[in-house]
Amino acid sequence: MSSVFPLRFRRLSESSLVFANEAGQFFKSNDRFLERLDNEKLTKSDQEFLFDHAMASRRAGDINEMSYLHRLASRLRPPTDLSYVILVPTLRCDLACSYCQVSRAAINAKGFDWSDETLLNVKSYLSKSVSKRIQVEFQGGEPTLRLDLMSQIMDFCREHFEESRFIICTNLSVVNEAFVDIISAEDVFVSSSLDGSPDLHRKQRTNTKSQTDEFFKNFSRVGELIGDRLSALPTLDSKNLPAPSDFLDTFDHYNMRSVFLRPVVYHGFARKRHPTSKDHQSVWQKFYEACIYEMIARNIGETSDFYEEYYLTLILKRLLRPGEDNHIDLRSPNWLGYDHQLIDYDGRIYPSDEARMMARTGQVDLSIGDVFAGLDEEKRGALQGRAFNALDPWCSQCPYQAACGSDPIDDLARHGRADVPKPATAYCQKHLHIFDFAMKLIYSEDKKNQHSLALWLGLPSPIFLGDVLQ
Amino acid sequence: MIELSLPANFSDSSHLPFIAKLSRIDGHQTATLVGEIGDELMFQFQDLTISIVQPVGEDIIGDIVFVEPAYNRVSRWIRERSDHNTLLVTERCDQLCIMCSQPPKKSHIDMFTFMEQACMLAPQNMMIGFSGGEPLLYKEQLFALLEKVHTVRPDLKFHVLTNAQHFEEDDVERLRQTAFKSVLWGVPLYASDPSTHDSIVGKIGAFEQLVTSLPIMARAGLQIELRSVLLKQNYHEFEQLSRFISSKLPFVSVWAIMQLERIGFAKNRWFEQFVDHSENSEPLMAAVSVAKSVGLDISLYNIPYCTVPQKLRGFLSQSISDWKRSFPADCEKCSVKSICTGFFEWHSTLEDYKYGGVI
Ligand code: SF4
Ligand code: SF4
Repeated sequence: MSSVFPLRFRRLSESSLVFANEAGQFFKSNDRFLERLDNEKLTKSDQEFLFDHAMASRRAGDINEMSYLHRLASRLRPPTDLSYVILVPTLRCDLACSYCQVSRAAINAKGFDWSDETLLNVKSYLSKSVSKRIQVEFQGGEPTLRLDLMSQIMDFCREHFEESRFIICTNLSVVNEAFVDIISAEDVFVSSSLDGSPDLHRKQRTNTKSQTDEFFKNFSRVGELIGDRLSALPTLDSKNLPAPSDFLDTFDHYNMRSVFLRPVVYHGFARKRHPTSKDHQSVWQKFYEACIYEMIARNIGETSDFYEEYYLTLILKRLLRPGEDNHIDLRSPNWLGYDHQLIDYDGRIYPSDEARMMARTGQVDLSIGDVFAGLDEEKRGALQGRAFNALDPWCSQCPYQAACGSDPIDDLARHGRADVPKPATAYCQKHLHIFDFAMKLIYSEDKKNQHSLALWLGLPSPIFLGDVLQ
Repeated sequence: MIELSLPANFSDSSHLPFIAKLSRIDGHQTATLVGEIGDELMFQFQDLTISIVQPVGEDIIGDIVFVEPAYNRVSRWIRERSDHNTLLVTERCDQLCIMCSQPPKKSHIDMFTFMEQACMLAPQNMMIGFSGGEPLLYKEQLFALLEKVHTVRPDLKFHVLTNAQHFEEDDVERLRQTAFKSVLWGVPLYASDPSTHDSIVGKIGAFEQLVTSLPIMARAGLQIELRSVLLKQNYHEFEQLSRFISSKLPFVSVWAIMQLERIGFAKNRWFEQFVDHSENSEPLMAAVSVAKSVGLDISLYNIPYCTVPQKLRGFLSQSISDWKRSFPADCEKCSVKSICTGFFEWHSTLEDYKYGGVI
């Protein structure tokens, strides 16, 4: 007789359910097994299956219990020191994109840049981190309006940390020699936006034809200069989605086959102007799946240069690998304002970009201090209440909990409070969809799907990734 | 091949054996270079004069040696310029693996005092290996050595190759101490089927004991390197082994998969034991894929680059100890020789592999 580590379950289809435990081990089975589990009438072969897959133990301290505890523990990472910081040296921008009303100021506005004093304090604030490595993401506004501030920060970090990496998030509307000089360093990466076709890009972003042409010219030029250190995020509007194959063609044209698909999130006034309804959600989900299937179809025969969707790969890794937890939107415990912080144009510190947006729109002030006076431990502490999804009454019954995360700031931003029942949150709906979809792929018998899964996970050959109990 | 044991002459052959560091300058426990005639080097250790012929193309200065005047011998225990220094704890063993590279003997000479002195003299940050026989037959002495050396030389790292048959519940508290954080424990596991594993290691109940020991090691927070050798006896079960490790042993740090070494018992039983993975790479591919899917670190050892499919090449490690590594003449023309693991000196040929050859 063995004791089974507690299982949760969820229906995948009419005839199948996924079962998982708190350590994230999962398998597929059916209603008959659920009944046996419910009535505590597991058969001998049920018990053997569970024991063989390390989901039940025969005595305290045996190998299965140890592996279960180890998995649980490796999903619980303690907070670490600052190692990812978003810097906003200026809030000014030279474009006016349709979905970006809040995070910009006009190009000639005064008082929206770091002062000398702020710069000094940012450096001294960063120097207090004990991390050996730092990633700095420059955002704006348009950070390239202040190349001078960026290079001073870069020089400082290269000096202070053993390893630094810089990501410049830019609209690439201007590429001058000083910019080219900065991005020639191997530790500098450029991230821009590419919305699909030039037509779509113009509609959403650049407005005029000349600005659009300029962007595409700059984009190609930077690509030639720095190769795969250039990446692009698409801004996709559920009300205006491209055809998956056109969309992938555009990205492929620039040798970008790893794409991060997510719908644009509106903030503040823009949210009122662009309400997202349930319908939009299902439109988005259809688009998302269609893109993935298009990628899978294009991956046939590929071995190295394959298409992938960044978030789906992350979800797959989280499902299969305990300890894969370095994405701030997808981890639990999600220690807010520890390893990941944002320093705004005025020196205020926020736990994330979204937290800054909420302060800008006047929803709620989630700043956790500033670079002059330092961190406000009390405010930061107040954010940790919902760091663990395992403590949420809904998540604790969800088979995806171990792989899922917790994002109270997103809940606040979208729903006005952090204690909305999980299933009603956009976060949960989005994740349930991707997890279900991932399960569908994992349990699919289609060779094409298995081939792509192997590529995404870096496996030499396709294998069965999910166990099945008949 | 690099010579590890050097003939030497001594001014007094009745001098007792000792550990010394060969050095140009006088220092703590050094045998100091006092003269050179051609390739013959003269060292002075207290009243004793030692003369050693330096092997061609090698530098022995800086090495930590075990000196045995009665046998006219100097053994290079820790070579300063090598990453592969291993001390032999004992030649006794309680298993008898069918392919053992270092077949066990009944006798045992206790060398712990000398090994401890050698470690104390080791270069900064070095990794030192302990192997056997089965080192943990002398568990108490070995643990004590590791603890003692750690207090004086916390910079050193250790690798202990053990069959893990001798860990007990009572060891947990002791092994949780910081001294043991510097140790990586190499533990062989050849199959997930108990009878296959037991018959390979020549001990009934060995698998069962492993399955008891491994969680004890995990509870003590030890770093574990699992080691599996490819053999005709287990190759068809390799994917199953990988599934076992992936589901039951998530606490191991790394899984080392290695091709057979043609030495020791394997030498005379080569054709019953060697399995040519180039002819059928499926089991190996599947095993690597399963382990990789759960995020386990995998390294493939002793496997020539050209003998595996492209997709496995990223998992190859260049591993054969510097003193045992060589290449057959054909490999000179190969473009990937610098990243290829090469061959053991005593069996330097690609003949065993059906597919492979210059790239
Ligand atoms: S947020 Fe939703 S999907 Fe994620 S663990 Fe909670 S209930 Fe499951
Ligand atoms: S030909 Fe020789 S050097 Fe080249 S990969 Fe094969 S074994 Fe290695």
